[in-house]
Amino acid sequence: MTSADGVGGSPVTDRFATVRSVALRVFVGDRLGLVVFLGTLAFVALYWRVGIFITDNYTLANALVALADGHLAVDEAVFGPHLETPGMVLHEGAHYGRNYGQIVFALPFLWGLEVLATVADPGLLLPMAWALVLVALGRESGRVLGRPTLGANAGAVCGVAAFAVNVAVARPLAPRLFPVAALQVSAIVATALGVVMLYRLVTRLHDRRTGVAAAVVLGLATPVGFWASLPKRHAVVVALILGTCYALYRSRLSPSPDDLVSPLSFRATAYAIVGLTTWIHGGEAFGLFLALVVVDIPTARSNDIRSLAVVAAVFFLSMTPFFVTNALLSGNPVRPPRTFLSAQYAAGGPSTGSSERFLRSLVDGLPPALAAPMTVALDYNAILLGQFVSGAETLVTDPGRLYRVFVRGGDIPGVSKDNFSQTIYLTVLEAAPVVAGTAAACAAGVANLRQSAGGSVRWSTTQVRSRVRAFGASPAAAMDAFAVALGVSFLLMYVSRLPLHAQLTVRYLHPFYPLAVYAMARQASLRRVLARHWRAGIWTWGGGVLLGSQLFVVAVAAGSLGRGEAVQVHALVGLAAAAAFAVLAASSAFTKRLDRATAVAGGLTAALGTDFLLLSGLAYFPYSQYALPAAGWVADLLATA
Amino acid sequence: MDRSRLLVWGAVVLICCVPVLSGPVVGLVDLTKPPLDGVGDGSATIDDVQVPDTARFDRALSSDSYVLKVPDARIHVAAIEGRPLVSYKLSIPAMRYSRATTHFLSADDTGWVAVSLATETFAPANVTQSSYEAELSLILRVNDTKQTLHDGPVTVEVTE
Repeated sequence: MTSADGVGGSPVTDRFATVRSVALRVFVGDRLGLVVFLGTLAFVALYWRVGIFITDNYTLANALVALADGHLAVDEAVFGPHLETPGMVLHEGAHYGRNYGQIVFALPFLWGLEVLATVADPGLLLPMAWALVLVALGRESGRVLGRPTLGANAGAVCGVAAFAVNVAVARPLAPRLFPVAALQVSAIVATALGVVMLYRLVTRLHDRRTGVAAAVVLGLATPVGFWASLPKRHAVVVALILGTCYALYRSRLSPSPDDLVSPLSFRATAYAIVGLTTWIHGGEAFGLFLALVVVDIPTARSNDIRSLAVVAAVFFLSMTPFFVTNALLSGNPVRPPRTFLSAQYAAGGPSTGSSERFLRSLVDGLPPALAAPMTVALDYNAILLGQFVSGAETLVTDPGRLYRVFVRGGDIPGVSKDNFSQTIYLTVLEAAPVVAGTAAACAAGVANLRQSAGGSVRWSTTQVRSRVRAFGASPAAAMDAFAVALGVSFLLMYVSRLPLHAQLTVRYLHPFYPLAVYAMARQASLRRVLARHWRAGIWTWGGGVLLGSQLFVVAVAAGSLGRGEAVQVHALVGLAAAAAFAVLAASSAFTKRLDRATAVAGGLTAALGTDFLLLSGLAYFPYSQYALPAAGWVADLLATA
Repeated sequence: MDRSRLLVWGAVVLICCVPVLSGPVVGLVDLTKPPLDGVGDGSATIDDVQVPDTARFDRALSSDSYVLKVPDARIHVAAIEGRPLVSYKLSIPAMRYSRATTHFLSADDTGWVAVSLATETFAPANVTQSSYEAELSLILRVNDTKQTLHDGPVTVEVTE
């Protein structure tokens, strides 16, 4: 896969080269993965605003300040007017934050910023880091493309030029914003790692071209880029989920002598990542765990005692930080802060419903190995399973709401009102029109199945079953099943609460974006379109970003549209393009004649996703100062346009 | 060491050195001037003002909410020094609503300069009349003094 480029030299440089090449392999896979990583960092920084976006950002930022001071209890509202912010919890008279895994992950970045700020101008730190990323990106791209000198020179020149532009319009960054910036840097790094994981997964499944295409679409054309620099858990959780996917897939592949670790280690790693996720959000980790168990146990190479013991031991070990944090907070290792009384609504207590009693009766019927952890979950966190049950109930009683979650949002009673009367709620399809490719390609897959089964629906379900059995041992099939299980798990967890205000891009279903991109990458017909017409796709995307973003700016300025209206313009244009792409992508399963048009439509939908990322960051939601002063300068220009 | 390697490391050193030169230890230069430095200082001569006589509450795109749209005002700047401020303010007494947008003028803002008021969205329940009487004002702030450039009534029409 990769080779260390340190040839000869002293033992110290040799050791450094070895460490570097191992780190490269573990985190980004290969040199192309490094390019994907650096490219994602460089892109999302363009519209990175250092500040508080949603009120519960205060909770994380204040908890990080407290943790950096060496204690868990938050005793001062360094950010925000008071400590009663969403997500802050009250326990025995003390305030505590949540998502401690994410906060701890941000801690080294905070230290890094504080150390650098002792010698360097704080206002120039983030532009400096970005310029260095550009230099590295140029150098690594040059190597990947076989033009190392050109790449290195271009990277160096662009890095210095971009830095100079930022210095020319630089402004100070108050050191008191460092905790927020640290949370954001950690989220950006997590986003880039997540995008790289998708690249690695798809590259292993198919080829590098598809891998890079999937990564680029995920980072540049879906809301993964929107939440990349916002101090919320979504970026980190998506990175962990994609890490789980990759580890699970590797655990199914035949071992090769080149591998660093065995398939069993990869299997244990998948569980370890789930264990770490509990430290950020117990509920989502539980959903991830259920999906993993449901797919992993039936499809594993072997479920002998030794494998299961290794996996279980690593899993419990990986939850140590979660247990320790809980024990420190509540004295109870399995009671996470999310189950405490919310500081905001200290008057009302957590509620338990009838669904819990129903579940208890269900759990009692399960084998002890499954029932034991479930009972624990029930005892301490009734919310966990209750969410799945109420989700299933919602799907049965009110399936129509899926339309409001996935297709068209617009003005939804109760949602717009809580969004300051602005229609800033976007559905999955409106926020990322490019995912239209999924639905159509999957529908075409079903049509193919029906065709081969003689047109009978009954036959096709039987055939699906037999296929599942036949491909039970196939690594790709296990990965597909995991993707489906994850989607179902997250949908059940959250559908009863959606549509909701303060979602913007249905952020509760954030893992759907990587899953959708994965589903598209798995379609043979879309891969054929990519292989034959990637140039058409890229040119359309480039044109759609350069021209399209300007057209949006002009339209919004000409109509002097409010924020909600501007967002709806994106939604409607996105839906129109998504419809075209859906039809063309579906057609690609039957004919090759429309491949070029499919590539163009795909490029256009991707461009609309990118336009929304750039303009939401630079024009519609300019809530704070920009990490890159030059971006702030552009945003000021757009504001006066 | 070949030239391209030299270029890359040169770029890295340059990029890393500039923040240090502007940093708290060395402090040779201060490259990060606060953006509000000198704001409100200087002088300006405004010899003509054009303000709209109507504003509108428009139904928002694909929603029942209303968007308040106030056309730009225009001021004619005859002479300017420093960075004076102009604030453009609309108040609707019947709704107990008031909003102002402040613009920083700079030395190259001479001749006709457009001054805008940010749009705002209103819940449908808050807009009950067919039109509202409002006050529109333009105020120039220089060296802690206020000069009213315009202060007059404006009608805000509600369009369905």
